[in-house]
Amino acid sequence: MRYLVRRAGQAVVVLLVAFTGAFLLLQALPGDALMIKYENPELGLSPQQIADVRERFGVDTPLYAQYVHTLLGFVAGDFGYSLQTGTPVRQLLGEAVPHTLILGGIALVVAVLIAAGIAFLSSVPRFGWIRDALRSLPPLMVSIPTFWFGIMLVQVVSFQLGWVSVIAPGPIEGLILPVITLAVPLSAPLAQILVRSIDDVAAQPFVTVVRARGASPSWILRRNVAKNAILPTLTMAGLLLGDLIGGAVLTETVFARPGIGRITEQSVTNQDTPVLLAIVVLAAAAFVVVNLIVDLLYPLLDPRLASRVKEGATA
Amino acid sequence: MSRSFPHRSAAAATAALALLALTACAAPAGGPSTNAAAGDPVEGGTLVYLEHQPHTTLYPPSAGFYPNGGIVNNVFDRLVWQDPETLELKPWIATDWEVNADATEYTFNLRDGVTFSDGSDLNAEVVAKNFDLYGLGDAERGLTVSEAINNYERSEVVDDDTVTFHFSAPAPGFLQATSTNNSGLLSESTLDFTLEQFAPGNSAEVIGSGPFTITAEEIGATLTLTARDDYDWAPPDRAHQGRAYLDAVQINVTPEDSVRIGALLSGQADYVRYVEAQDEAQVEGAGFTIYAPQTNGVNNALSLRFRDGILADIRVRQALTAGVDRQEVVDTIYSEKYPLATSVLSQGALGYVDTAEAFAYDPDKAEQLLDEAGWTVGSDGIREKDGEQLTLVVNEAGPQPRSFEALTLISQQLKKLGVDLQILKADAGTAAEAIRDADQVQINHSMVARADLDVIKSQFFSQNRNALLNLDYDDQSIGDPKLEELLQAVASEPDADARIADSQAVQQYLAEQAYVIPLFEEPQVYGTATNVQGVTFESVARPSFYEVWLSD
Repeated sequence: MRYLVRRAGQAVVVLLVAFTGAFLLLQALPGDALMIKYENPELGLSPQQIADVRERFGVDTPLYAQYVHTLLGFVAGDFGYSLQTGTPVRQLLGEAVPHTLILGGIALVVAVLIAAGIAFLSSVPRFGWIRDALRSLPPLMVSIPTFWFGIMLVQVVSFQLGWVSVIAPGPIEGLILPVITLAVPLSAPLAQILVRSIDDVAAQPFVTVVRARGASPSWILRRNVAKNAILPTLTMAGLLLGDLIGGAVLTETVFARPGIGRITEQSVTNQDTPVLLAIVVLAAAAFVVVNLIVDLLYPLLDPRLASRVKEGATA
Repeated sequence: MSRSFPHRSAAAATAALALLALTACAAPAGGPSTNAAAGDPVEGGTLVYLEHQPHTTLYPPSAGFYPNGGIVNNVFDRLVWQDPETLELKPWIATDWEVNADATEYTFNLRDGVTFSDGSDLNAEVVAKNFDLYGLGDAERGLTVSEAINNYERSEVVDDDTVTFHFSAPAPGFLQATSTNNSGLLSESTLDFTLEQFAPGNSAEVIGSGPFTITAEEIGATLTLTARDDYDWAPPDRAHQGRAYLDAVQINVTPEDSVRIGALLSGQADYVRYVEAQDEAQVEGAGFTIYAPQTNGVNNALSLRFRDGILADIRVRQALTAGVDRQEVVDTIYSEKYPLATSVLSQGALGYVDTAEAFAYDPDKAEQLLDEAGWTVGSDGIREKDGEQLTLVVNEAGPQPRSFEALTLISQQLKKLGVDLQILKADAGTAAEAIRDADQVQINHSMVARADLDVIKSQFFSQNRNALLNLDYDDQSIGDPKLEELLQAVASEPDADARIADSQAVQQYLAEQAYVIPLFEEPQVYGTATNVQGVTFESVARPSFYEVWLSD
């Protein structure tokens, strides 16, 4: 319990640092969202009219006051308004997050299944004959550009073969291609690590002992090797969140899906500071939570770690 | 990150197109379908329309951006209708109007029985409130003045269906301004909104009196327009009256070009905006129709900022003008839908006068002019004078089609003359800042769409877009007072014929001074499936879904 409290405290610090860093960096960029929007010649506003608008948005208040105001807003759950469109950032993210969570969540599950499939098939002696082919898959998959892969899937599966619709598809239909697009490059590093760990664990003395006692290779793989090989993979899965977010930007753009990725792309384009700030904090929060979950899962998989966690907590 | 998108998409699109060529071969050959063969219009159906970018606001004066315009044009009515063919102004919500001799008083009589989609009446009171907002703005609420409305003073409600607008100085462009998207009529309740309430996410609350209403929205992704059954106040001069033929329009934002085109060709979409020049052949080859309505304003052009040290010399400006092979640009980068410009204004624009002579391609003359101006070719092929190289920077025009490709070609053309033209390709913030500074951007690539004589003033006047940076933002000084005077005359001369002469004087002056190199007359390019009939556009090429219907 005390362990959890300490971790929560660390999380708050991480979020505050992420917020402050992002706030300062966004301020330091040349130009700003209001300039992009209102000084854009498209609106043809006079310098005086632009000055009025800037005043209304409080651009000229001192930086520290803006910082405190924004920070207090974040604490209270008010992320301000998009400067490009005026939509409340909370509404913007609130509508987008579920889409990306579903896409990312399913893609992660699929990626894990693909990785596990590749790793175990290539470790089972019966499939020795395609072992090399299977093991060369992850390097291939990791080098496929997500954007290109998505476009190819759309063109072939949707436009040529007509199997699924990309424009206004049903909820499940609309997930098929984006999930594949996102899952394939995601599964590659997982598979690579899993394969490596299986090899490492299989070379350990205790495996030789188990084998000497008459266990079949598949029994060893299932009961002894897999469980031990999963730890490094789990760590990797926690780190893959960044890839997942990056992949979502491309996937959501190609498939015209709403979500955090699309919003990120648009707000980067328009230098939409309040939206970007919220996205950075959200991403930081996601990292913290995912890594916390991973850390909490370790002791369940490996009892040796459980005692270490307890020691750490009492120290 | 955003800047790298077009590249990646271009590469991916090329790969995808190779695949698509297969489908194109399989599709029946033949030209675009003709509307005549389609029979009588039928009611019903949902049109799937693919937009390139998400809309940003529904506040009419700020809604010029094309993704906004596609919505606004179908949801809000206007006082006056501008015939997109002749550009004449005809009745719509106003049955008739009167303008005093010096164009400082406009009186409109309003049509009876017009209602907003929330049931409230469209009467003189609401119209007055609309223009009070558009003419004066409300900085408190973040709502800006409409660029098209100048010198607005106040409104006066004469009776329930008569309203008069007063101006502090002649405002000859006002009548046309009331016909534009920027003057879309909003309901009483909507007029109390702040900028934030006009934002995506709240679109269904924005109420107009147009043939469609916004009924559903997913921010940045989809928007549904539903036809109003009781709509009965279309402009009397339009071919169709009564409710729209379609039941609904489903607008889907599909940013990736190859996906938009592929969706159209595979039958998943009916109507797409923004078909790039290089994709036209593929769309037409597959039997689909390309529409390329003109934007009828200031042409896609390079504005030479004459207050910069190098460009202050007219010989250098003339040399650049003679050194750009505009025909090659149009032929190589664009298509026949992009006619070569013959003036600063488009041929379809009011007041257009042919000044093509001034822009003739003559590389020998260009070299001679640069020699005369004292720019001699240095060891690396770039001209120099007093130790300074002839280097100029032009901005990539993000919203304009294939800006970077066109500028790259122009840069190659100028390199032959010893001119080093660099292209500023930057993120939006950097670009927004650089574009206002002649030290950073000496040549401005841009255009403006508006079917009124005022458009030329919008582009070049110091208090509007200031494309030439005639007004220096740092010291507030004006470089060429004569240009200011000529532009102001266009926007303040009450007599229609005299205004045309004023606009022509500006075009001739800009050509004489070699301030502007116009490239081409910019269209908006749309593609439609063979069963989409009755496609029309307003005067600057925003789609109208009112007469659209789906055959078989």
